[in-house]
Amino acid sequence: MTITLHQVVPAPIREKALSGMSDIWNRELVLRAGDHIKVKAPSGSGKTTLTHIIWNLRRDYDGTVAYDGVNVLDIPAEAMAQYRQEKLSVVFQDLRLFGQITALENIELKRNMPGKPYCSLEKVQAMAAQLGVAHVLGQQTSTCSYGEQQRIAIIRALVQPFTFLIMDEPFSHLDRDNARKAAGLIAAECRDRGAGFLVTDLDDDDLFDYSVHLNL
Amino acid sequence: MHTPSIRPILRKLIRTGIGRFRFLMGTVGMGVAVLFILLAVQTFMNFNELLHGKQNANETADFLVINKEVTAATQGRKELSAFNEAELDSLRQQPFVEKLGTLTASNFNVNVSSYSDAIPFYTDAYFESVPDEFIDVTSEAWAWKPGQRDLPVIIPTFIIDLYNTGMAMSSQNFPQLSLEALKAIPLRVLLKGNGKEMEMVGHIVASSDRLNSILIPQSFMEAANRTLGYRTGAVTTRIVIKTKDPSDPQLVKYLADRGWRTNTDKTRFSKVRVIVNWIVGIVGGIGLVMLLFGMLVFSLFIQLTIASSKRDIELLKTLGASPRQLQAFLMQQFMPVNGVVMLAVVGGLSVIQWVLHRILLGQQMYIPPYVSVATLAAMILVLGLIWLTNRGTVRRYLKD
Repeated sequence: MTITLHQVVPAPIREKALSGMSDIWNRELVLRAGDHIKVKAPSGSGKTTLTHIIWNLRRDYDGTVAYDGVNVLDIPAEAMAQYRQEKLSVVFQDLRLFGQITALENIELKRNMPGKPYCSLEKVQAMAAQLGVAHVLGQQTSTCSYGEQQRIAIIRALVQPFTFLIMDEPFSHLDRDNARKAAGLIAAECRDRGAGFLVTDLDDDDLFDYSVHLNL
Repeated sequence: MHTPSIRPILRKLIRTGIGRFRFLMGTVGMGVAVLFILLAVQTFMNFNELLHGKQNANETADFLVINKEVTAATQGRKELSAFNEAELDSLRQQPFVEKLGTLTASNFNVNVSSYSDAIPFYTDAYFESVPDEFIDVTSEAWAWKPGQRDLPVIIPTFIIDLYNTGMAMSSQNFPQLSLEALKAIPLRVLLKGNGKEMEMVGHIVASSDRLNSILIPQSFMEAANRTLGYRTGAVTTRIVIKTKDPSDPQLVKYLADRGWRTNTDKTRFSKVRVIVNWIVGIVGGIGLVMLLFGMLVFSLFIQLTIASSKRDIELLKTLGASPRQLQAFLMQQFMPVNGVVMLAVVGGLSVIQWVLHRILLGQQMYIPPYVSVATLAAMILVLGLIWLTNRGTVRRYLKD
């Protein structure tokens, strides 16, 4: 799948976006399955706004965002759900986990959302072990530390099929070692699927083998 | 292969935030509403069966003789007793009229006396005729051809009864006579009119329970009226209709509205029917109103559930749960209980129906032992209605 951003200018940061300093705002940008994109930007420059606009969570912008050439505003709710279950995945900066259910249930919810799960429960447990959160799977999510929750959110993003993965500061609460493990898992999963990804962060890093670097 | 479902997790996230007691009360209310509606339908069907069912019917059709009532206001004006063509046409077109015939009255003087000194009598009389298809008795002698001197006569049964149990009992001069005996007595029938005179030999050939009139064959009536009639053109003052259901409230109202009279004994049952129809209507009406409230309550339950889980539903949609998945889940929370209510109500009605069937059977009345197809159809209809409104509510509030 391709995601096209055409002359997108978010309303809240309109002036800044029109200043011409950005590689993304008010330009033509195409995200393809094979792309490994790093978006670097300081706090408050609109990283989360970008991920939310791509995810079709907010509509307060000029220009268009299209999935496979179709304006996201014209994609019916059922088809949008299908994109989110089969072609696109996401790690939100604010994680968006359900606090009242267990960590495993958060993952299982996403894994079983399409009629047929993409990966097995054993695979989920293996990923949790790899990221060092196997021991919190049965724990109520709201009682997990933010770092643990972040890793649960990453695993949740990886249990579904996708051709493009969007991540908004996914390692913000992980130490360097854990961030490396998580990045390794993400890279392997993207490789398996032939998928591309876009990751936003504050600084430069060497966690992934980026093919494109963009400034916001 | 067993596909794991997200339902158990959804159930944890989307709590039906209503409270057990309120949900129970709502469900009971719905149950009573459905009970009322289905009860009304079943009662209507039972009553119909009692009235029209083959197993309850003595006759498949009934005959009513109708005439205009003579009141203090109309008694001086004979012409007001006649039916005009428009009135007959209108009556003919009513759904409760299967067939309509007119009684033709003799338009000449009739005098009947005895040939025999053993039973002397002499009386002025009056004949009517009616198409044969309206006569309830058959007799080979019931025919008249031009030139025939014998005149077959049918008399009402009640006259024989009146004579035998009344007149004959109160006077020693009159012997009791059976119908067979009456048939054997020739009658001297003298007809006068229009300056002419004609003598016939009358024979009683049968007695009728249906028509309270002294009948002669239609063919003779027409010939005699032509020859002896004072007036040209017949005047119709009495008509006979064939109807499936003499207690049809529509029929009774039609006659009452016009001040027409008939055998009220036959139409008396109509009052009961009107009352039953009213009761059925009221019960059904209450049921419908309750159903409306029940559906409103369920719709509020759904709104409340969606509103109280708004954030979680929002997040589910963000994560990719399709509206159809959420809708199916929510419908599953609210519909099965309605299905159970329907089955419970139909189950209860089935028991009542069976018991009624047994009780009425003991009184030679038949209603089917099972609830009617119409009742089941009504149940499916109501369930469909609830399903549609619930789905509408779920869709509308999920969209918001």
